[in-house]
Amino acid sequence: MSADLQFENLVKLYYSDLYRFGLSLTGSEADAADLTQETFYIWANKGYQLQNAASVKGWLFTTLHREFLKTCRRRNRFSNESIDERMEDLPNVPAGCAERSDSQTLLRILGEIAEDFRAPLVLYYMEDLSYKEIADILALPLGTVQSRIARAKIQLLRRLSETNLPVEQTK
Amino acid sequence: MNTRDAKEILLLYRGPVDDSDPQFHAALDYAKSDPELGQWLREHTKCYDTIRAKLRGIEPRAGLSEKIVRRRPIPFPRDWSRIGQLAAAILISASVTGLLMKWSERRQSSVVSAQEIVVTGEVLDMTCYIASNLSGPNHAECAKVCIRNGEPAGIKTQDGKVYLLTGEPGQSINAKLAEYAAQVVTIKGRQSVRDGFVQLQIEEIRKL
Repeated sequence: MSADLQFENLVKLYYSDLYRFGLSLTGSEADAADLTQETFYIWANKGYQLQNAASVKGWLFTTLHREFLKTCRRRNRFSNESIDERMEDLPNVPAGCAERSDSQTLLRILGEIAEDFRAPLVLYYMEDLSYKEIADILALPLGTVQSRIARAKIQLLRRLSETNLPVEQTK
Repeated sequence: MNTRDAKEILLLYRGPVDDSDPQFHAALDYAKSDPELGQWLREHTKCYDTIRAKLRGIEPRAGLSEKIVRRRPIPFPRDWSRIGQLAAAILISASVTGLLMKWSERRQSSVVSAQEIVVTGEVLDMTCYIASNLSGPNHAECAKVCIRNGEPAGIKTQDGKVYLLTGEPGQSINAKLAEYAAQVVTIKGRQSVRDGFVQLQIEEIRKL
């Protein structure tokens, strides 16, 4: 298979997932598209260094996340806030609450979660990755990843339950 | 384990994707024995599935993949191990070439020998011979004058080899050689070679 075809296949396989990851991180379609493009651009230049073909997906997500962090640093967008959620705070999400929220609402709520917590939570929801794989992508210890997902998830569910949208306004 | 512990663990449980993860096994078993926790887990995983489906339902803007493929840069693979190997090969090759050149230079410029030989041939006035290819009986007078006046003398053997003739260091032998100009003589002497020039330091001359 030619290099061009390999690249095209790789784009077809992962560009949607990467775009969604980028959109969940940035909340902006334009920024998500830029991050996705940049990720594949880097792949085209450096991807041949990857020895293990099985880790292509992880490499792409890691690269996109790194590019996102660089953007944040440039824009000085790091909030450095933490989430002080505890198990006792776990809200009972009413059945159907998630169904009543559309994807835009979910993205808005995700955007309100601190960057450090948002990335692991998005990977947790969107990709069928193990916690170890998520930790590898984000270059974080496994325990840190699980802790961040748990606290971010509690915050997300609480916000969802507070949203309480009327049924007719939902998708 | 109590319900609170199990709930804390199962908060991260996503469903089948996490079934092989051993950290959930004990809590899942506990949930089977606790109907209230079991109900919470079912709602929890359903909620997870819903959120996941909504997030994964987001479609990228049209034409994004084509744009990515179109703007693909031409890759220039920098395989540093290959580059290192190439650099090492160039370095080794340059070193070997340098050494060979040096060796060749030294070999050429070195005195090949200082051995005693006997040669027979015509005594030449080297200036006229090299510049104008003049030799033989017709040039005998000129050669005699030139050699006597201090021009270098030589001997050309029958096989065409030419030797520069000299005396002992610091002693001119031109006056003696002038007598044999353009004549065939046998000379015994010590041969030295440097940079392609062959010199014969005369020890004895005999006229044939």
